[in-house]
Amino acid sequence: MRRRSSLPVTFLVPTLAILLVLSMVPTLYAIVIALQNRELSAPGYSWVWFSNFADLFSDRRFLNAVWVSVKWEIVTVVATMVVAIGLGVLMFEVAGPRLRNFYCLLFIIPVLLPRVSAAFVWKFAYHPLYGIATYPYRLITGGLIFDPLSKPGSALFAVASVDVWQWGLFFAVIVLKLLETLPPQPIEAARLDHAKRWQIHAYVTLPMLKAPLISLMFVKMIESLRSFDLIYVMTRGGPGVATETLDMYAFSQGFIESGKVSYASAMAVLMMIATVITFTMLWKRVQA
Amino acid sequence: MKPGRLIAKAVLALAGFLAVFPLVWTALNALKNNVDIITRVPKVIFTPTLANISYILGRDSVLTGLYNSAVACGAAVLIGIVLGLPAAYAVARYPNRFAGDIQFFVLSLRFLPPVAVAIPLMVIWLQIGLYDTLPALIVTYSLLTISVIMWLAIPAFQGVPKEIEEAAFVDGYGAYSVFWRIALPVAARSLVGAIAFSFVLVWNEFLIALMLSSSNAKTLPIVASELSQQGMNVPWGILNASVVLLSLPPLLFLGVLSGFLNSVFRQKKS
Repeated sequence: MRRRSSLPVTFLVPTLAILLVLSMVPTLYAIVIALQNRELSAPGYSWVWFSNFADLFSDRRFLNAVWVSVKWEIVTVVATMVVAIGLGVLMFEVAGPRLRNFYCLLFIIPVLLPRVSAAFVWKFAYHPLYGIATYPYRLITGGLIFDPLSKPGSALFAVASVDVWQWGLFFAVIVLKLLETLPPQPIEAARLDHAKRWQIHAYVTLPMLKAPLISLMFVKMIESLRSFDLIYVMTRGGPGVATETLDMYAFSQGFIESGKVSYASAMAVLMMIATVITFTMLWKRVQA
Repeated sequence: MKPGRLIAKAVLALAGFLAVFPLVWTALNALKNNVDIITRVPKVIFTPTLANISYILGRDSVLTGLYNSAVACGAAVLIGIVLGLPAAYAVARYPNRFAGDIQFFVLSLRFLPPVAVAIPLMVIWLQIGLYDTLPALIVTYSLLTISVIMWLAIPAFQGVPKEIEEAAFVDGYGAYSVFWRIALPVAARSLVGAIAFSFVLVWNEFLIALMLSSSNAKTLPIVASELSQQGMNVPWGILNASVVLLSLPPLLFLGVLSGFLNSVFRQKKS
């Protein structure tokens, strides 16, 4: 048995204290600012309590941003999981050990890139005149212009494709590793029953991996919320407000357009409350 | 070979191609003159030039950005190591009734929308006169590095066989020297992965750096994004070169991180 030691206290207390201060001070201060009417340009302020929040709900651009954020979450999370599971299963089925390692290395590269880099890489690639990704279209149509980033209907999907490029490929590696940890017996049994390969995965392996796959989805949901840099570099929320998510709108209200720091903070506080409640509930269910 | 298998292999090969080709293309563009980039038909054969690369390496703003990024990320990761690793060890090895809550608290820091943290911090740093300085950035990033390192190091320490530590206790080691001489070296490989991961996260960070710096403390991602706003005459080659420069440090960790992934999943198996 281990003797009593001061180690847990000396190791934990300072770190937790610092984490608490570093996280609680800005969080509480965000709420305080949201209840005032601070602006970047003017030093004075007064308490306006909930009027910022009340204003938000009659702000059509805010409601649009909520809708864009929801669309963004759904599109990126679903597409990432589909790509990840698809490629993970394919690697598991047709690639030998050495080829698997090679693909794993390739698929990790995009996620390591700074999002700013990834955004630039694809912004060039989607350039209507000189882009490498739009080149096949120009080639086939004899020089017609395809400009996905500047059309309201396609801009969100074009930006989302970059997010999926980064995360879907990375998650494919994780799905493969998860498949590799499964015991082989149930797969063998299904094979003896003449199950087709897709049936084995749909009815045997993927259900066995349900819990880790849900955790993976959970991680992606959190990461999808931090796509500001991607959108900032690629479209700045445009064309119009087609790709303006909540954090993009908060940023432009607070800093670019009007400097309404309190208004932006009210938005951020709402986001914070929504995400903390949603993810706490989800986490408890995942753990249960 | 069955057609299904052939298609599957083709899809995989295409995915592998898509994973790296955009990057390879960017690296090629970094070596091109503007005339060779702005062509209707992409040019594969061209006379390479180092002009773009030497241009960005010669610019003060880029060098300052590089320096700021290196100092801010390095210091924050160091703080993360010093505070995060011991705390993770304590959670992993000295279970108490708060362990679950602590882990959830650390994870929940990840839910906080960055805007929600950045706005008040900006006001706070402005008020105490530290806005647009590296210390402000380092303190803010520490929140990120401590929590990420802690989160990843807890399972790494749990993976250290308990028997080794027990044996060391029997040999008369104290709790602290067991941590120093046994747990740290045994878990080292996974811990390096966790540290590399936290470095990549802060190196890639954009929103907080954008809001907490205006001129002096700009990090490399901010400088790179500003290069693109130089009017109509976009210096494509220079931009591509800066993207390459920005992407190199995280890519250096490629080997470490893929080894880390392998070790994480091997632990789960046993």
